[in-house]
Amino acid sequence: MADRPEREIRRGRKGRKKVCSFCVDRAEFIDYKDVAKLRRFISERGKILPRRVTGTCARHQRALTIAIKRARHLALLPYTSD
Amino acid sequence: MAEGKNLYETVIVTSAKLGEEGSAALVERFKNLIAEHGTVKTVDDWGKRRFAYPIQKQTEGYYTLINFESGPEFTAELDRRYKITDGILRTLIVKLDPRHLVERKPQKAQKAEEGAIDVEAIAQEAMGVVAEPAPAQD
Repeated sequence: MADRPEREIRRGRKGRKKVCSFCVDRAEFIDYKDVAKLRRFISERGKILPRRVTGTCARHQRALTIAIKRARHLALLPYTSD
Repeated sequence: MAEGKNLYETVIVTSAKLGEEGSAALVERFKNLIAEHGTVKTVDDWGKRRFAYPIQKQTEGYYTLINFESGPEFTAELDRRYKITDGILRTLIVKLDPRHLVERKPQKAQKAEEGAIDVEAIAQEAMGVVAEPAPAQD
């Protein structure tokens, strides 16, 4: 923190902090069957969106990744799409 | 708690080529197999769904979700049966964590604990910050 003061200042550019949507919902478990929800976390090409884009916390991102991969296996979500 | 028995969830994707009855019959066979080694809790038939990508050149299949309880050794057998059964395109067996089914209560207790720790940590940090500059000045 102290060794990177410029970063700290610049971060306040828009004053919007992304909050993990799973933490907001107090979700303990991310369901691979909830395709509608999982779709929000993949790109148009079917890639899993990074945390820096979605604002998901590390813990939920890990759980989310597993859920998406399970959904892909069952052909509920695409591995890739063009 | 319930030792030796776990909760599982399994999804079976059967080929649309089997037709509605063929698929139902296949699922019924697996329901019976599960019932032999444990207890079937719930069965959820999702019906015919389009795949997100083609599987064996097919574009749709029947999805069935079965929740069951059994010993941990049964999943391997179930998986083996899945693999040697024709007409099954995809399967998934997932162990359910009972903590996620009961939910909430332990989370609150944890939160309270975390809060207590945080206050302590902040207090300690504050003390450290206050204590540090003093010797530096000397």
